[in-house]
Amino acid sequence: MEVDNYRKIRLRLTTIFVVLITAPLAILVVMTTNSLRETAIEKIEVSLARLIEHKMDVVSLFLKEKEDLLHMMVGMYPISYLGRQENLDDLFIAVNKTGSIVDLHVIDSSGRQLAYTGPYASSLEGKNYYDAPWFQHVLIKGSHVSDVFLGFRNVPHFVVAVADPLKTYILRATINSEQFNKLLLSTQIGPHGDSFIVNRDGRLQTPSRAGITELSDEDRLLLAPHEGTAVFQRQEEIVPKTQELGQVDLPGATAIVKRQESVVATRWVKDGEWCIIVKALIEDSLDPFYALRNKIIMVIVITSAIFLTLALLFTNYLLRRIAEEDRQRAELGHQMMQMEKMATVGRLAAGIAHEINNPLQMITSQAGWIGELLPEEDRLQVRNIAEYEKAVEQIKHHVRRAGTITHRLLGFSRKISTEQQNVDINELMEETVSFIEREAQYNNVTIVRNYSPSLTTTMTDGPQLQQVFLNLINNAIDEIGPGGVIELTTAMEKEKSIRIDIADNGHGIKPENLKKIFDPFFTTKAPGKGTGLGLYISYDIVKKLGGTISVANRNSGGAVFTIVLPVIDHG
Amino acid sequence: MREFNVLVVDDEEEFRELTAKRLEKRGLKVKTAESGEKALEILEHSHTDVVLLDVKMPGIDGIETLRRIRAMKPLVEVVLLTGHASVDSGIEGMKLGAFDYLMKPIDLEPLLEKLSDANEKKRLHQAKIEQAEIRRNMSMPS
Repeated sequence: MEVDNYRKIRLRLTTIFVVLITAPLAILVVMTTNSLRETAIEKIEVSLARLIEHKMDVVSLFLKEKEDLLHMMVGMYPISYLGRQENLDDLFIAVNKTGSIVDLHVIDSSGRQLAYTGPYASSLEGKNYYDAPWFQHVLIKGSHVSDVFLGFRNVPHFVVAVADPLKTYILRATINSEQFNKLLLSTQIGPHGDSFIVNRDGRLQTPSRAGITELSDEDRLLLAPHEGTAVFQRQEEIVPKTQELGQVDLPGATAIVKRQESVVATRWVKDGEWCIIVKALIEDSLDPFYALRNKIIMVIVITSAIFLTLALLFTNYLLRRIAEEDRQRAELGHQMMQMEKMATVGRLAAGIAHEINNPLQMITSQAGWIGELLPEEDRLQVRNIAEYEKAVEQIKHHVRRAGTITHRLLGFSRKISTEQQNVDINELMEETVSFIEREAQYNNVTIVRNYSPSLTTTMTDGPQLQQVFLNLINNAIDEIGPGGVIELTTAMEKEKSIRIDIADNGHGIKPENLKKIFDPFFTTKAPGKGTGLGLYISYDIVKKLGGTISVANRNSGGAVFTIVLPVIDHG
Repeated sequence: MREFNVLVVDDEEEFRELTAKRLEKRGLKVKTAESGEKALEILEHSHTDVVLLDVKMPGIDGIETLRRIRAMKPLVEVVLLTGHASVDSGIEGMKLGAFDYLMKPIDLEPLLEKLSDANEKKRLHQAKIEQAEIRRNMSMPS
């Protein structure tokens, strides 16, 4: 029952400690890792914004360079010069050092091709472009850059067309876009990131690193106004500014959309015709975050472990204290009960002894009276007179026997002498042993002495105490029988008292007898062998000397009687 | 054995009468009293050498009776006898000047011995006082 209680308390305390320690730390872990993740994602956004800005510059620059080149040429040469095939050939060789220009057309304002330099001369001969949309566009706006297409050779390229200022003719160049594809491919975040350019219809203008050929439905949404973060890098440095986006496809703004597993940045270039899309997988960039998070978790786990260990140790300590206190309280209660019981039993026994003494007196008096009168009888007439005389003597003898018991019980035979002397307990014990050593040897019982040499003397009644020692040692000798060992131990205890242990290695005392062993008339000896008063008298003497006597069974077998006497040093 | 006067004080009649009978048979002169008050009364009006006094009695108890006897007749010796009293009352009685302290049950012989001793003490005591008086009378002749 009690053990159960301790288990309950332990469980409760442990639970409380675990919750108190673990819960805040767990919350800390969750909050820290979440915010760390947020920070990591924000970093991705910033670098994405930077990257896409850079790409935009690259693409814009590339396109502008080609456009400018054509503008320069149409500004420099009139139609009469460029319309001639040999002049165009010269020019093509002069400008196409990098190899990015595939071919050059010169087309007059009616759509007729005047000259062509390039690999497809035969198939394009005499073609009229007047109805082509790009042609009209150039005539109206002065220049045009087409979407990317694969063409005959399966090489991605696009067309740049420019009209001369007077719109008399158009110079058209086919440009191999692989050059800026390379630039685009080299710039991406993480091994699983992706980057490509699409046109307004969502067709890919550059190859995707991830190998997609068509925009997914989700990505297609990016081309329409959508929710996200707008970064106006030009105006506000690199600080991402969160705002509700309805118009992220405004020129000059990078739109960043955060998805479950990725962050996508979009940026319109080429006057809103092309959209650069850069994707970064969040997972790719989280390695440093994971490392940091693991470190934090480790620190917190170690901390919790330390705290938990301390808490458990504390719980153990607390429980041990509680158990110890319970035990002491129980022991104290037991002692109080024992004392009370002994007092009651003592009073009862004394009362009975008193009441018996008077009848005993009358019995012995009456018997004595008979004994006195008998000699006056006529010996011849009373035939059994000798028997009567013998009976009278027997009656007196048995009354004396009974009287001895009642006297012992009442303590008549053990008046506490008013004179107490300074007694050395070790000496007293040794003297006691000398009385019974012969009997012990006869019974083949060994007596082991563990006397403390530092024992102080105390004012007490030596002969009475010796009576107690004698009772206890005699009992022990009777109990263990041949081959037994009796250990006599003396020691100082808590400065102010002397502890005397008289232990044997016999069969011990049955638990049910432990409580009544000091009761008067309690005996386990054979009928007629013991009065059952020895321990009661010992108890009474020790109590009168201000000490305590207790008994316990030893773990190693046998019983131990413990007397604790106060050290009294006055006088 | 010298003949002397004994007063047996005990609330138990049977004991009183029987003890008286047996002591008289041994040649003593015995009076009895069933209480302390009665004992004091008898002491006042008759010659008594030794009182055998029970400690526990209704009315004034043995110890109190002893105290009054010592005050009234300092020469009379008192032997306490009890089946009831504790060690403490025995010590108390001895302090008050009782000759001795006996426990019931007791045989007649040791009892008689104690009474004789008490009487002897009383007799010696008395003789000393008489001698002292004689010496005083002689040193101060009228």
